Amino acid sequence: MNPNENIVLTEAVFYTLLALHTPLHGYGIMQETKSMTGGRLVLSAGTLYGAISSMLDKGWIKALPGEEDSRRKEYVITDTGKQVARAELNRLHELVANGEKIINKTDIL
Amino acid sequence: MKKTVRKIFFLWEYEKEEAWINEMALAGWMLTQTGFRKYVFETGTPGEYTYRLELLEKDPHSPESKSYLDFLQETGIEVVGECINWIYLRCKTEECKFDQGKRPLYELTHLLKIQDFFNKLKHIFVVVIALCLVAIFSLEHADPIPVVDFFKGFCVGVSFGASVLILLAAPCFSRMNRKVKAAIRELYTCE
Repeated sequence: MNPNENIVLTEAVFYTLLALHTPLHGYGIMQETKSMTGGRLVLSAGTLYGAISSMLDKGWIKALPGEEDSRRKEYVITDTGKQVARAELNRLHELVANGEKIINKTDIL
Repeated sequence: MKKTVRKIFFLWEYEKEEAWINEMALAGWMLTQTGFRKYVFETGTPGEYTYRLELLEKDPHSPESKSYLDFLQETGIEVVGECINWIYLRCKTEECKFDQGKRPLYELTHLLKIQDFFNKLKHIFVVVIALCLVAIFSLEHADPIPVVDFFKGFCVGVSFGASVLILLAAPCFSRMNRKVKAAIRELYTCE
């Protein structure tokens, strides 16, 4: 992945990448995201399915080999995925730093 | 207890249809089966299930759709019926994983597909009208034998009918286009 590429991740994608630092199946990702955000972010099945499909295409996550007949596929983050999550974290840091600089300053005045 | 209701909803009335099915569920009637203009309900605890209509990209039995439907099932969503590429989904209300509230991207794909379909339909109608007009004018000086007269009449009828349909559909078109525009605007501000 080109680090200069400015990719802005959606919340669903970012949290899925976070959750997949340990292997999980779809339902597990939903529960993990819900608990990480204290119930604020509840991923819908449709959103999550779209996120998973696109991240598989991009190679940010991969499906773990499971039993052939098993419908419950487990996924895990790849190295590329980790880079993408890291880049997003840096972007978010910048966002927070600038927000604090400007919003907090005007609040004090 | 079971009851069958026959009701018609147009293609773009999926929100109305979904709202109606959810109202029935709140009143204790759970949709369990669908058919062409046909809805089969069974009694249940009011509000037990929440229903959702979705339009699939491919037919529900294609491998792509199957894998999506399997994924939904894994998260506790049931498919209760299908109609062409539309599927009727439900899940227990307390653990529901449907998109709630704003769903711009989702809405937009729905609307764009419908818009695309109607635009194609409109193009077909326009071509039919054009062909009929060409036929009428080229047959203007043809011998007035019954077959020709019949054909001319037929062309007049078809082009007139198609024009009326296009005119009648115009308000629907502009409503749909407004909806699509609003959904696109929403996209810029929401995820």
